[in-house]
This record gives sequence, C-alpha cells and structure tokens, in this order.
Amino acid sequence: MNSEFKVVGKSVPRLDGLEKVTGEARYIDDVKLSNMAFGKILRSPHAHAKIISIDTSKAEKLPGVLAVITAKDTPMIKFCLYQWIAEHYKGRLPREDYRDKLPLENYKVRYVGDEVAAVAAVDMETAENALSLIKVKYERLPIVLDPEEAMKPGAPLIHDELLRPGIQDGLERNIGISFVYKYGEIEKGFKEADHVFEDTFHTSQQHHVCMETHGAIAAWDKTGRLTIWASTQTASPLRMEISKALDMPEHLIRVISVKCGGGFGSKNEMYPHEIIATILAKKTGRPVKIVYTREEDFVSSRTRHPMIVQLKTGVTKEGRITARYGKVIADKGAYLSQGPGPLFTAGWVMTSLYRVENALYEGYSVFTNKPYAGAFRGYGNPQMTFAIESQMDKIAETLHMDPRELRLLNARRQGDITASGCEVKSCGLSECIERVTDASGWKKKRQQKTPRHGIGMACLTHVSGQRGIYGDADLCGAFVIINDDGTVTVLTGGSDMGQGLTTVLAQIAAEEIGVKLEDVRMVMGDTDTCPMDFGEYASRGTLVAGNAVKAAAADAKKGLLQMASEMLNESPENLTISDRKISSIKDHNKSLPISKVAYYAYFEKGVSLLGRSVWDAPTNLLDLVTGHTKPPGPSPAYLFAAQVAEVEVDPETGYVKVLNFTCAHDVGKCINPAMVESQIDGALHQGIGYALTEGLMYNKNGRAVNATLGEYKMLSASDMPPLSRHIIVETIDPLGPYGAKGAGECALVPTAAAVANAIYDAVGVRITTLPITPEKVLRALKQKENSVPLKMTLK
Amino acid sequence: MKITLKVNGRIHELDVNPNRTLLEVLREDMDLIGAKCGCQTGDCGACTVIIDGTPILSCLTLAISNEDKEITTVEGLTNDGNLHVIQRKFIDNTAIQCGYCTPGLVMTAKALLDTNPNPTDEQIRDYIRGNICRCTGYTKIVDAIRSAAEELRKQ
Repeated sequence: MNSEFKVVGKSVPRLDGLEKVTGEARYIDDVKLSNMAFGKILRSPHAHAKIISIDTSKAEKLPGVLAVITAKDTPMIKFCLYQWIAEHYKGRLPREDYRDKLPLENYKVRYVGDEVAAVAAVDMETAENALSLIKVKYERLPIVLDPEEAMKPGAPLIHDELLRPGIQDGLERNIGISFVYKYGEIEKGFKEADHVFEDTFHTSQQHHVCMETHGAIAAWDKTGRLTIWASTQTASPLRMEISKALDMPEHLIRVISVKCGGGFGSKNEMYPHEIIATILAKKTGRPVKIVYTREEDFVSSRTRHPMIVQLKTGVTKEGRITARYGKVIADKGAYLSQGPGPLFTAGWVMTSLYRVENALYEGYSVFTNKPYAGAFRGYGNPQMTFAIESQMDKIAETLHMDPRELRLLNARRQGDITASGCEVKSCGLSECIERVTDASGWKKKRQQKTPRHGIGMACLTHVSGQRGIYGDADLCGAFVIINDDGTVTVLTGGSDMGQGLTTVLAQIAAEEIGVKLEDVRMVMGDTDTCPMDFGEYASRGTLVAGNAVKAAAADAKKGLLQMASEMLNESPENLTISDRKISSIKDHNKSLPISKVAYYAYFEKGVSLLGRSVWDAPTNLLDLVTGHTKPPGPSPAYLFAAQVAEVEVDPETGYVKVLNFTCAHDVGKCINPAMVESQIDGALHQGIGYALTEGLMYNKNGRAVNATLGEYKMLSASDMPPLSRHIIVETIDPLGPYGAKGAGECALVPTAAAVANAIYDAVGVRITTLPITPEKVLRALKQKENSVPLKMTLK
Repeated sequence: MKITLKVNGRIHELDVNPNRTLLEVLREDMDLIGAKCGCQTGDCGACTVIIDGTPILSCLTLAISNEDKEITTVEGLTNDGNLHVIQRKFIDNTAIQCGYCTPGLVMTAKALLDTNPNPTDEQIRDYIRGNICRCTGYTKIVDAIRSAAEELRKQ
C-alpha cells in the first residue's frame, strides 16, 4: 500500500526540527512584548480554610508594583470545563451548574496552592517580593485527603453547594459526579461463570511534568480587544472558555498558541492564571506575563486521577468472560476540572477492550483537599487497564492458561459492536497480541524460566477522537490555499503540543494535492486567522484534523484542476497531480507545472484557489447518564495495542529493572512511522514511570512533599530500558484519513500492567498499588516467604 | 555591576545585579533564548551551556562568576548558518518532540563528544542522565548522539 503514497507513510523529518535544535523556537517564556509587566500569584498555604480578610496595602506601596488584585477585582464568574457538556444534559443530571472554580477564590481555599491574590510588577523579583507583603487572614478548616474518608458522613465538606435541598447530608458527601452504567444482564452473566475473581487496585497521582511549565501573556489594545498568548493544546476552546469566564464576546478575544513545551493533557483547559493575567493587564494597561515556577506547576496544574478500582470478573472454565462489575472511586482533588471524562472513560474500557456483554459500572468522583486532577494521556484508561490487565493474568493462572491465549479468546474484533454501542470498524488487537508475543519470544520465555527474570503482557484499547467535550460535536475546520506560486498554505485551529501534528497535517496536505512536503506551510493555533479546531486531546489530531485538512486540500485541488483543465483542454477527471506537475492520464504531452496553473488562476482568471472544510466526526455521544451510545460511538475509530515487558527483580532490595519492551500498535495507516515510534517511546517512559516511581505524595496537612524535579522521581536516560521493539500494525480504518488513527495517548495505557505482570512472572508477587516501589515488592516477597511454610504444613 | 562575558566568541559588556544567574542574563539581557528554564534548581538540564569545555547548568551559576571564560550556548553551535552535526542528527533521527529540552541536550551531547568521541550507548545514557526529556523516552536521542559521533569521527 505504501508505494501508492509519495509523502504519507514516510518518516519525514519534523518541520519544526530546525527551529528547535537551534534554540530559535519561542515558547511562552521566550515571548517578550514591549512594556511587558510580570505577574505572580499568591497561593494558599492551607489545604482548607476560610478567607477572612486580605490586606494588600503594603504590597501596593512597594516600588515597582503596578497592580494587586483579589477576587473582588475579577468578574467572579466560576468556571469548569465539564459545564460545556453538562449543558447538553440539562434536567438529566443531578445538578444544573457544575462550575466550581474562581480565578481568585473569595470565600474558601480548598487545596495548598489555591489562587488567592495576584500582583503585577515591573520585574519578577518585585512581583515575588510583593507577594510576601500581602496579608491574608485564614480560618483553618478540617481537611480530608483520602477519597474514601471524604465520602463518609461527617467528613469536612469541601464544596458547600453540594449540600442541596433534597439530598440528605452524608449520602452524597463530597461526591462531585457519580455514574451507574448497566450493560446486558449482569446477574445472568455471573451465574454463567465457573470462576469469579474480585480484586482492588490503587493508582497514583501521576503528574504530567511538561518540561515547559504553564504560562500565558495577556494584552489589551485600545479598541478593547484582548490577545492571549498561551501554551495550550486547545486554542479555539480556550477562547470559548475565556469568553465565558470574562463574560465577553468571543470575537473580542484572540488566542495565539505559541510553541508548546509539552502538554500530555495538562494544557487542554483554561487555567486561573489565564484570567488573572487578563485582569492584571487590564488594570496596569500593559501586557502581563505569568509563567509558573516548577513547584507551582507541580501543585497548581492538573494531574492524573488517582483511582481505587474494584473489579469483579466472571469467566467460564474455558476462559470466556461472562460478566464484569467495576467500581471506581476517583480522587478528584479540590475542583471538578474535566469532570466526568476520565471517570467515564474508565467505565467505557470495561466493556471495550474485551468482549464483555454483561457489565455494571459504578463511578464516583470525590473531592479531597488536594491539587486537582484533569486530563492526562489516557484519560482514566491507564487506571482501569491496570486493573483489568492485572486481573487477566490472575484469571489465566487459575485456569492454567497462557495469558496470551486468554486475551486472544476474549479479544475485541473488527465488526464488533460493544455492549455500550461502539462500532469497531478496524481492529488489530489479535494481530498485535500474536505479533508482540512472537517478536518477544514469549512462549519460550514463559516456559523456560530464568531466575528473577519475568515476562508479562498487557493490551489496550482507546479512542481516537471524542464527541462530547465541548458539546455534541467533535470538529475541526481547515483552509488550504494553493498560492500563486504553486505552494500551499494550510490554516487550521489546532496547536502542536510537541507531538508533531504540524508535520503530519503537512504530509496529508502534500499527499492530497500532489506537491512536495517542503511546498507546504502550516499556520496553526491563532483564533484570528485559523478556522476552529477543538484541539489536541483524545488522540484526535491525526484523525479529526487530518480529515479536515485532507478534505480542504481536495477542495483546493478541485479548483486547481478546473484551471488546468482549461489550460490543457482536458477534462478534470483525466488530470492527476504528482511531483508539482499536473498531467493528463490520456495524453502524456499534456502537462503543466502547478506554479503555472496557479499563476494563471490568480492573474488571468482572478480566481483564488482556496479549499475549505469543517470535518465533524460522524459519531454519537456516549450518554453520560446511561453510558450507552449508538454506533460508531463517541469516537470514529478505536485504537488497539499489546505490549510485552521483560523485567529483572532483585529479591534482596525489591528493585525492579525493566530490561526491554516489545510493543505492537494498531494505529491505522501510519502517516509518519518515526514519529509514531517516538510517541510510543515517550509514552513508555511515562508508563514505566507510572508503574514504578511516579506519584505526588502529601504530608498530613495536604502539602505535596515531592513537588520538585529532584523529589518527583522520573526515569532518566539510564533508567530506561535500552531496547524497545516497535511493531506497527496497519489496519486501515474507513473513517481515518488514508485509514489513519491516532497514536498519542495509547502506549502508556497498558504499560504499568505489563510491568506488574512481568514482576509476578519473575518473583511470584502481585502488586496492586501503583507505583510499584522496591519497598512494596520487598514487603510482598517477605509475606510470600512467611506464607510458604504455612501452606506446606497445611498439606 | 559591570562585567564582561565572552559568549559564542563575542565580547559582551553588561551591567548586571550580582544575584542574577547566567541563565537570566543570557535570556533577558542578551536575548539568547536557546537555554531554557525548566526548574531553577539544577534538576532538568534544559539550561545547559558549555563553559570552558564543561557542560554547566546556567541556572545554578551567577553571571558575575563567569568572566574570563568561554561560554558557548546552542546559538553558538551553528557555523555560518550550517547546523552542527549533532543538531542535524537530532532532526534526522526524530530525536525531538516538544523541543524544550533539546538545546540543553544538544549542548550536553556536544560536551560528551568533545571529550569522548566514541561513547558506548551506556556511556551516552549515563552522560545525559541530568537532562530530562518528558516526550521521547530518550531512545531516539541516544540514536542521534551515536550517529553524530559516527559522523564526527569520519570528519
């Protein structure tokens, strides 16, 4: 299939490579505007407290201070990303209004790091000094850090508005959102089971740790228009959110997405600092820049949801899954943010990865006095997949089955419609399982054990696109202009968070029109010039934006061929474009360079060669209240993969060394193999970190104790396994551009389970709490040692 | 305080507060934005520059303590518009994603290959241990450095 393509399917170098290796790329902290002031945010030192009074008088008098603001200087409009979709379910959800966050809090602070006041000054040092002069009087309140404790009657109530008429205090304490989803006949399913497995898993509060911390610059012009330069994954939605938060029409706001130094989900919602910078800019009449320090970034940007996953699965003696019950308590932290997204994704996985027809899912998102969770690569999926895939190995062991065969038996297949109603139009799961086990030497290694060495596998499914974040749509708009010199300019609203979307979209435009990659110039992420795109999340860029760019390119090409048809006296259907040349398939003498045809269009015919499209994925909402959807479901396509990990465990120290990973990923048609490999490599880094080392920790006062790069342990180059093998399984999805699906999030989803399963294979202990630290392994090994003689005496 | 810094072969006369780091002065006073601030605590390596042949975290050294030294930033690697081999190999090997760590890693790689032209993969991984990359998993960065070393040895 590859040979048909000139640009798609090739590992072309990234378009932004040159500016990045030379240091020319400008990220938010590199943007300087004349007369720019510097903003700093005063954050709460308490995890839960009433704000009694704020005295800013001393700070205001400090020379160099330009403005000091508190809540009363802001419009006091609460926000929450969830509200966008909650509006759609009016009357069907327990609450009408889920907005719970103010840019600056006026009544209470709910976590250590909550926004209280802000300063703009002539330089950063003055702004920092001014913060220490603001006197805030707090009345400390009891705090709760554990979600299960937070649900109990009498626990400190974090959001007072959750006590509402008709709801008895204690029944729904601190529960932000809850779901119950039913599929098939759960009781019948469990009756059909020969074995029932029940386990509980705990996952950690992993942090994105983007190398570039969060930041924004706000500036107003004399006409009352606001420009925000932001490090964001979602420029167009950010404008929508800012518009609501300031109660100001969207057309008066311009969002410019600058180079983004990593996102992973953390940069796909509006943050308080974007509004704070705006208010400070208004007050000072100067552009104001706010960039987070690393510690601020750790506690006051979003995290992954820690989840307690209770999973009960019934299987026949042959290994077929007959029923599954799952209950998730998600630790929300102090505010709702993305709301139910990760919670319902966790429920979605339960019936999606394997053929599970009978299921019941209960999900609870519970407030605690901690930094709050939002979107993070995988979006609730890694937590549930850790549970499912750890339990699959337990099931296989009890049934004396090869874990590979158990997975193949239950694997999702092409053409399936899942219990929730998702239609799987392309699925390479079985092929992924087969190829990843073949390539890793699975069978031999499982049978011929090397002491302390283990091999484990895990699988995944994920979405590629997601209807229902900003309403009942999942769209991207694109303009493609063929310029008078025959080059191509693509305008689209998405932004590149670093994953490489710019290059992928340029490849698609070049392929569709028939020009060279270097002929394409990408203009992205500026709401004044680019048509709307919902942005980079849910592994949607390649598929959704790719389709939009492909359609707009085809539209532009149509105009170009019409012109060529006149010039060559040949019907447009008989014309093809390749290597910048338009030729007749009938008569090889009829041929013209694109540049000549484009010039003719503009200068002789007065025709502009503009193609346009809005691609709204032909998908259906996954109903938040019932958990059901209609085919194809919320995503146009679904991703599948299987990974195999090999580890070595030191029984003396409990230290786990990951030796290598073999991954097989179904990404649909692969647009850029090297970039897909790089996505998998990077996701493995985060996934192995999730498995073994990463997670925020707190002291009893709710203060994060490892909020520095030195203390929050990420794997270094020498900690990473030196070898990872990638197998790209190219299913061709009917809804993907050239059959392509996403590749961004998926590779970290099964990684922790693969590592946990390999550890079990190595030393026979199953760790169900992430991260799997040496202490946990050692403790489990000690317990196992102690229990062995007991079993022997029983025999 | 008046100081003279020699950066990328050019002499710069500057007037700086003694408490300012070299990173701040490079970025704010000289508009050399290649070195990035990722932590200010010396943990991420994004601010790495080469001083007298040694890779140095410019966020942990004061500007005033670097007079009479040869400072090279990523901007100084390009020669007459031609990329350094290491830079080219980072592009060719897709060793870049968001790019925030890239200048620091390129400089660290340069310091490595200047002193050890034929490093093993293990030596490369060990040498760049102080540079955090959150996107690439390091695999393609190691490929880029290995391949740059091969080409530099041929020159």
